[in-house]
Amino acid sequence: MYRLSRLKYVFPIGLFVSLFLDGALSHVWAPLFFHFPYSMASELVLLWLVLSYFFENGVDIPLIPFAIAAGIVADLYCSGVLGLYMVLYPCIVALTKILAHYFSDSFLPAIMIFFVDIVVFATVNYFAYYMVGVTSVGFGDFIIYSLAPTLLLNVVYFLVFYWPIQALYSWATSEKTV
Amino acid sequence: MHKFFSNRRLVIIVVILVVCFGLMAGSVTMRNRRNTPPIIQQFGNDIVGFADSAVALPVNWLQTSFSSVNDLLNTYSENRELKQQVTELAQTKVRDQTLAHENKQLKQELKLGKSMTDFDTISAAVLMRTPSSWQQQLVINKGQSNGIKKNMPVMSDGGLVGRVIEVNKTNSKVELLSDTNEASSRFAISIGGKGDQVVNGIITGYNANRNELVMGQVSSKAKIKKGTRVVTSGMGGVTPKGLYVGKVARIGRDDYGLAQKVYITPATNFNDINIVTVAKSMARE
Repeated sequence: MYRLSRLKYVFPIGLFVSLFLDGALSHVWAPLFFHFPYSMASELVLLWLVLSYFFENGVDIPLIPFAIAAGIVADLYCSGVLGLYMVLYPCIVALTKILAHYFSDSFLPAIMIFFVDIVVFATVNYFAYYMVGVTSVGFGDFIIYSLAPTLLLNVVYFLVFYWPIQALYSWATSEKTV
Repeated sequence: MHKFFSNRRLVIIVVILVVCFGLMAGSVTMRNRRNTPPIIQQFGNDIVGFADSAVALPVNWLQTSFSSVNDLLNTYSENRELKQQVTELAQTKVRDQTLAHENKQLKQELKLGKSMTDFDTISAAVLMRTPSSWQQQLVINKGQSNGIKKNMPVMSDGGLVGRVIEVNKTNSKVELLSDTNEASSRFAISIGGKGDQVVNGIITGYNANRNELVMGQVSSKAKIKKGTRVVTSGMGGVTPKGLYVGKVARIGRDDYGLAQKVYITPATNFNDINIVTVAKSMARE
């Protein structure tokens, strides 16, 4: 089904545009994102992956392979530290799938699941980098100065992009039966 | 729950964990040791860099046009201030030229080659910033093919902002001074003390709460004044001498009360960097 729908083009393009937008927005809005001592991490890729799962409308997008591909690019190009995002992105997709079993497909459960995803993602990211020695910030500081602002930013992203992406997907999946 | 953690799955999860921690630790150490990343990584980064420009350039363009409108509103008052500075600048420039000329002649007389104050510059635009709380990195659009090498110092708005940590063919990564990474390399700097005294040291850290660079373990007894300019000292042979770092903000004691700790306000705002200049030392060629 995926091969026949418009999603064949829309999904990968959207995935990589959101990956690059993460970097571009972090650069352009750096005074806001990295205002001392707070720092927000823009996670549009996660938003795109999670919303794709909610809106795929019966079309089975191969989310996990694409998540791995996006993770490898993020590792190589954005951070330069291999092995984190390439595992974490597919894990978050799997987590979303598990959580979504227990809830209905509407706005409120979706935003809650996304919230949990971001918490898990940021925390695992922090611990992994802490162990490897990329960061040495304490756990308390992480929660106040990094996790809280990151959550805020990404929930705002969610509120802004939920309906546009929903519209995009209903357009992209509409002709699959024709 | 019991089913989820069946033997086979558990083994697979453990193997994946081990592999990805190995990869992470390996890539961190390798990045610190090698001059360039492996060819495959370089190639991938170059391709992704091209694709990234398609997104980054329009976004950057939008931002520049917004800020130019903003600038236009401040033009009048700014113009008046700048006019005053321009007259002084002409004087300084002429004097600078004369001194540079004299310096060259004297060096020739002494049969000195290029010294640590001679450097070339390469300008580059910033493509993106790592969207992470833990890494303060920029990707710039110049690389090996433009003569950029690892560890070169990077400046913006006249002040030092960081150093090149990874070089690909057509783009490279810059680690900002605000990165608190344990492995991040330090710059050798010097501060003019009272009289002719010069205090040498290195940047040992960054205080994110106050946006100050820290120069620790200063055992010299020389009196340092607030507001003194801090420049790179050229020691170590990679970074040229005389790159502007910032001004002394305050002076404290270290945790044991034995040595001085100097806090420096950086010259550049690390969150507002669009064009960077990479300094290429000419001393060792």
